Order: sequence, then structure tokens, then C-alpha cells
Amino acid sequence: MRGSGRPIRIAALAGGLCLLWAAATGAFLLRNNTVTLPWILGSVLPCYCAGLFAWWHAPASRVARRLLLVGTALSVSIGIRYTSALLTARHGWDLTAPENGLPSLEASLVVLPTEWVNLTVSILVAHLLALLPDGRFHLRHERLVLRSLWALLVLPLALPLARVPTRDVEYAVFYYPEAWLPGIGAVLLVVRCLRARAAGRRDIAALLPVAVAAAVLFLARAASRLFRPWHGEAGALYLIGAVLGALPYVLISLSVVYAAFRYRLLGVDIVIRRSVVYGTLWLIISGWYLGMAMTLGLTAGQYFPIGLSVLVAVTATALFQPLRARLNQLAERRVFGERLSGFELLVQLGSSLEHAYDLSRLAPRLAAGLQGGLGLSWARVRLGGGGDMPVHLGTAGRRPAGGTHGKPAGGIPLRYGDDVLGLIEYGPKTDGRFTPEDHDVVETLARQAALAVHNVRLAAELSTRVNEVQRQAGELDASRARIVQAQDSERRRIERRLHDGIQQDLVALVAKLRLARNRLGRGGDIDAVLTEVQDDAYRVIDELREVAHGIHPPVLTDQGLVAAVTSRARRMPIPVTVRIEKSLDRVRFALDIEESAFYLVSEALTNVLKHAEATHVTIRITRAGGWLVVEVSDDGVGFPTGTTRGLGLTGMRDRIEAVGGDLWITSRSGGGTTIRTRLAERVREEIHD
Amino acid sequence: MTERPLRVVIAEDHYLVREGTRRLLEDTGDVAVVSAVGDAAELLEAVEELRPEVVIADIRMPPGHHTEGIAAAHAIRAGHPGIGVVMLSQHADENYAFDLFQRGTDGLAYLLKERIGELDELLRALREVAAGRSVVDPRIVEVLMGSHTRAADAPLAALTRRELDVLRHMAEGKTNRAIAQALVLSESTIEKHVNSTFAKLGLAEEPQLHRRVSAVLAYLRHAPRGRG
Repeated sequence: MRGSGRPIRIAALAGGLCLLWAAATGAFLLRNNTVTLPWILGSVLPCYCAGLFAWWHAPASRVARRLLLVGTALSVSIGIRYTSALLTARHGWDLTAPENGLPSLEASLVVLPTEWVNLTVSILVAHLLALLPDGRFHLRHERLVLRSLWALLVLPLALPLARVPTRDVEYAVFYYPEAWLPGIGAVLLVVRCLRARAAGRRDIAALLPVAVAAAVLFLARAASRLFRPWHGEAGALYLIGAVLGALPYVLISLSVVYAAFRYRLLGVDIVIRRSVVYGTLWLIISGWYLGMAMTLGLTAGQYFPIGLSVLVAVTATALFQPLRARLNQLAERRVFGERLSGFELLVQLGSSLEHAYDLSRLAPRLAAGLQGGLGLSWARVRLGGGGDMPVHLGTAGRRPAGGTHGKPAGGIPLRYGDDVLGLIEYGPKTDGRFTPEDHDVVETLARQAALAVHNVRLAAELSTRVNEVQRQAGELDASRARIVQAQDSERRRIERRLHDGIQQDLVALVAKLRLARNRLGRGGDIDAVLTEVQDDAYRVIDELREVAHGIHPPVLTDQGLVAAVTSRARRMPIPVTVRIEKSLDRVRFALDIEESAFYLVSEALTNVLKHAEATHVTIRITRAGGWLVVEVSDDGVGFPTGTTRGLGLTGMRDRIEAVGGDLWITSRSGGGTTIRTRLAERVREEIHD
Repeated sequence: MTERPLRVVIAEDHYLVREGTRRLLEDTGDVAVVSAVGDAAELLEAVEELRPEVVIADIRMPPGHHTEGIAAAHAIRAGHPGIGVVMLSQHADENYAFDLFQRGTDGLAYLLKERIGELDELLRALREVAAGRSVVDPRIVEVLMGSHTRAADAPLAALTRRELDVLRHMAEGKTNRAIAQALVLSESTIEKHVNSTFAKLGLAEEPQLHRRVSAVLAYLRHAPRGRG
């Protein structure tokens, strides 16, 4: 066991060659000798593969080496057996041992190595089991018992010399050790675990359940195999014998590979692809399964006609199939962990997509789910983008930078209708190939993600609109308040004008009439006073007319917008050009429209007089596509945009917006001012000649 | 002037104004107020029944208090071209005058209500419309002349400033002599301006009286922005 790597390597190579030779011989040259083929598949191949696997990854581990040696020895044994069978069949050599005494020279060339090799296998299995998990001797009795087992190698020579019958030799050398030694190894392991537990060594003590199970199993197997001598190598019990015979090799192989991967049995971190571990386990399980199925078929062949035996073999294969599938699934689950199936992935991510309104969290989650769920080397999810949507990125796994390695193995855009709402990119799978089913999974997720992004987009639009509506509602409240305020201040202004102006004038008039009466009483001339009173009365009438006009110009009600605007323009002290579309002369718009338009013109002209220092004003009124467009522009001093306070522009805007119109004010310092409004044209009356 | 009083019907919804006007006019002895009514319907009935020479009507009467007076004036002028109508209006807005004159100026006057106080002016207007002529309140003409508005297609653009002055006085219903006095010019100079104005307005072929009215009408229609 302490030898360098080279002898082991040679042994492993030899074992492999033997296995190939045996398989080839068994399959092509010895058509009638198929009895041992199930043995190869059920025991030799699993054991050799597991040994190779373990040694390849942990060349220094004694457990690995012993397992490889077991596999190799089994291979060599089967190789010798097939060679001898070939020689017997093709060249008529008699390689069987005589009933009593030593075999012939040729026979001993075959018989003795076979028996030694078989013994070696059994002894190595005992060592392997007893010295788990590190393969070293810890206790004195272990060394004593296991070393003494090598003494069995004397038997193949000693028993024939002692004239023991050949059949008994065969049982003593081949069957009994093969049956008992795995059990002995397991019992030693149980003892080792108990002693370790007493010594407080937890790592070894943890193996106790496994050891006990193995001991019970292998001892039971040994007991049952003892019946084999009385049954021979035929009949239904042969099937049980074959199953039991393969048992330790399959179980030990599986356990070592699995434990090496899962529990660092071989003492090293196995940095290997999980798929290799899984593949090895798969190979072992499949080999055993094939062997068992074949054994069953062959057993049936001994009792039934060929047609029926084929049926039995097929049925057996079918019956074993679920077991194999379950074992494979178990192996996969243990090796790869709780890997999600494509469907599970869809369900899990799909439900989180349904309720996703936070894309910044969804993107990484989706990427991680995809990467983990499909076993991708990396996955990258981009949500949003396009138009005014913000982009959210999520990346899982490490994407190799640059070069062809960084290039995605695939990319699926997130589409909703004609919109591209994101992209899912992914690298190659860590193990295996990207299947069409995987592609379907990604595509389905892409569709769901697109829907989620679309939902988020809708929600965002909705909230923008709600905000806009709230802003408008607030603006409306403010504007309504301003309109009420403006109305109130206008009322106060009129009240002042009536009380402080007209009423005072009338009081003065009364005083003058009184004066006239006084003069008349004295017999004086009152003509001058009465003329004065009449002139004063004219002034009051004028003033009153102006006030009434200010409250509401009657011409607007009686004759409409055009008459009112031209009338207003004629009273401007600076030149005004009026351009009014001809057809407007005959149209009467809804009262609120006419009033708002007139109010705008009137306010704009007032502003021109107050602030603009303009030399000319142009008023334009046109109709365009269902809108009444009114524009007042001057060539005055203008004002810098943004300083519209105090110019009554807010009042104008409120007034125009209250009837659903729009207002634009363009002005710049020294460049004049243009005020333009657009009102929905609601016609009240159209005069046709 | 005092051979026979003018037969007048007054239509005015305000009782004090109506009765005040009646007393004022009858007091002169030149006018016989044959009826004084309160709305347009009564006015039309009275006109049919009494056939006055002149009607004095308020522009604003029940039921609508808008321009019922103008509608009544048009109806009267259409039915009885011989009856003159003096429209008394509280609106110093020229648009109402345009409205009144939209079918012709003959036999129509547009006066502000306070002209009742200028009794001579009122009587002159009654006589003018009874003779089929036309009168516009000086206040309206003043607004139009003082106006700075322009319309690109105004037919009056060709007139000189002096011609416009003459036309303005013509629109006030003045004779050439009165215009000559107002502008301190000779009557022949006024005549020359009047004729060149007619020529420029394309009225040279019309009869004299008709030309004057048409010129006023053109003035009223086009000095401001035109209607129609």
C-alpha cells in the first residue's frame, strides 16, 4: 500500500486491459458462455470505475488505492477466467483441476492465479471496510486480524497438497472467504467506531450507523451464500446468489464515490464537475441494473422456452427500470443538491414575477434563479429600457471578461407586442448541453418577465397620470380661488366708483339745483346754473355708461365678439390693426367663449397701454380646426420671460383655462409681446343671408 | 317751421323718460305726440293705426332689453318708407349705429339718449328723418374719427385728410354751408372736396342726395373695420 504511484498505475492499466479483454471475449468469442457477463457488469465494472475515479482524484488515499486494486483484481480474475474458457473451447485444453491432488501444470497456471486473485479481492475488501475512513491501522487487533488474513493465500496450494477434494478446495478458497470477509471487515469497522466514540473521536464515530448497517447486511449475505454449495450454479436461487454476490462491490463502490464527493472521504477537496461524479454513480447503477436484468433473463432461459424467457427478461428490465430511475434521481439529487426542474423554476419565478413591481430587485432574482435553476455559468437579465423607462440589470454567476468566453451562449429579448422591454442573456451550462427544453424554459420566463415589465410600466404611467390629475386639481383649486378673488376685488372697485364717483356727482348736482332754487327765489337769473347742472348730468351719464361698460360691454351681448373687439380697438389711443376672419362676422359663439376672448383682448390692450410703451398693436382673430384663435401682439418693450407677475397674466390664464382654452405668452425684452389664446369653438348661432 | 306740428309716436319702456320726453316735445309746440307706448309690439300697432310722420324709439325695450328698437325701426322702414325713425340709444357704441344703418340710412337717425336735453338737435333730427334724410350722433362720429384702427382694405384709404374731415361733417348730417362754417373754408372749396370724395368712392354717377347718403354709409361701414 505504501508503494509509489507507478505500480498502482501499472496495476490499474492491467486491470483495464483485462476488463476490455474479458468483455470482448465474452461478447464476441464465447457466445455460449454468457453466464459471467452479468457479473462483469454488476460487480467488476462498477468497482473498477469507482476505484479509477477515486484514485484519479486522490492518488494518495489508501481507500482509493484499495478500491482500485479491488476493481483491478476483479478484472484480472475475470480476464483469466475468460482466457481459460477460450483455451478450453478453442484448443481443447483441459484446465479443470482433478478431483484430488494437485492440478496439472497447465491447469495450475490458470487455477492458482484465479484463486489467489479471488482471495486477494476478498482480503482487500475486508481491509477497505475495516480501515475506513482513512485506510490506516489504528488499533492493534485490526493489524493482527487483517494481516493474518493474508495467510489464506496459502490455501490454494496447501489444500490440494493435503489431498482435500477439489470441490472442497474451491469452496474453502473461493466461496467462504468471499462470503465472509466483507462481513468481517464491517464488524471490525463497527468495533473501530465504538472505540472511537469512547475515545471521543467524532469523525470516525459518525460512521457507526453505516458500519452497523454494512455488518448486518454483509453477515446476512454471507449466511445466505452458505447455502450455495447445496444448490449449485443453477436455478432460481442462482439469481439470489448473483444479486447477493454483486452486492458488496456495488454498494462499496457507490458509497466511496458518493462519500468522496459529499463528505471528503478521500481527504481532499474534490474540485470536479458534479456531472463527472453523477456520471460515475450513473455508470455504477446502470451496470448493476443491466447485470441484474441479464441474470434474471438468463435464469428464466434455463426453465422456459426462448420466447417466454425473452418476455421475462423484458418484463424484468421494465420492472427494474423504475428502481434504476429512482436511484439515478437520488444520485442526481444528492450530487447536484436541490436543483429545480424547469417546471419548478417556472412556477417559482413565475409567481414572483406576477407580483413584481420593483424591477431593481426582480432583475437579480431572475438572473440568480435562471443561473441556479438551469445550471448556467452565468445569466444576465436586463429589464426596462426603450423609451423613458429606467434600466435594471441583474447578473448571476461570473461572466468571463472579453474574448469568445464572454460571449453569451444565447439571448432572448423580452417582448410585449412590438415593444422590446429587456433582454435575458446567458452563458453555457456548467455541465452538459443547453437543451431545447432549457430554451423553452428561458423563453417562457422571458414572456412572463416582459409581462411583468409591461405591468410595471403601466403602473408607472398610471401613477404619473394620477400625479398629473392631482396637480391639475390643485392648480384648478388655486385658479378658482384666484378667479373668486379677482371677482371680489372687481366688485369692490365698481362699488368705489359708484359711491365715490357717481353718487358724489349726483350729490353735487342736487346742491347745484338747490342753488338754482335759491337764486330763483331771489328773482335772479338761473340759466347759467341750469346749463351747468345739465353739463354735470351729461358727465354723470357718461361715467355711468363707462362703469356699466366695464361691468359688461352690452355690445358683446348684443352683437358679439367681432363688434365688441373692434369697438374696444377704436377706443385705443395708439394705432391698432384689426384682422378678423370674414366668416366670424356672422357667427355667435357660446357666451363664455365670447366673454373670455373679449376679456383677453381687453386685458391685453390694457396691459399694452400700462406697460408696453408700444406704438402699434395688432389683433388677429381666426378660426382653425374647431378652434377660435385670438392673438394680440404689440411692438413694445416686452418683458423677460418668467417675470409675468403683476401683469394680470395669471388672471388671464385662469380665465382662459376655466373655459378649457390654452394661453401662450411670448415676450422678450425690447421684442414686444404676443398673447395668444386658443378656445374650443362652440357656435351658438350662425347667421346666413 | 310752425305751420303744422309733426305727428310723433314715442316708444320708451321707462315711464319717467317717456313722459318727460313727451312733455318736452309737446311743450315746443312743433310736435304732436299722438301716442306714447312701452314696447316694440305696441309701437308697431300704434304705427299701423296712427301713421305718424316720425317715430322716436328707445333702442332697448322689453321683453329682451337688447336691440328691439332697431328691429322695430327696420320693420317700420320696410312697411312705411315715409315714416322716419329717431333711435334714442344709451349706447355710445358705433356698432349699434351700423346695425341700424345696415339696410340703408334714409329716414333714420341714431342719437344718444341724453340728446333729449339738446332740444334743438332733437327737433332737427325729427325733421331730417321726416324728410327722408339721416342723422348720426356727433359722439359716434367722434369715436370713429378719433379711431386709430386700420383695415388693409378700407375704401377710405384713398381720401385725403381734408376730404375725410368733410366726410365726417357730412356724416353728421350737415349741409355744405354748415361744413364750410365748421371748417372755416369757402363753400366752393367744400363742394370741390365733396365731389372728389364721391369720385374716389365711385359715386360720381349717383343723384346728389343719394350720393351724400351713400358716402356717409361708406364712411360708417369702412372707416372702422367693415362689416360684411
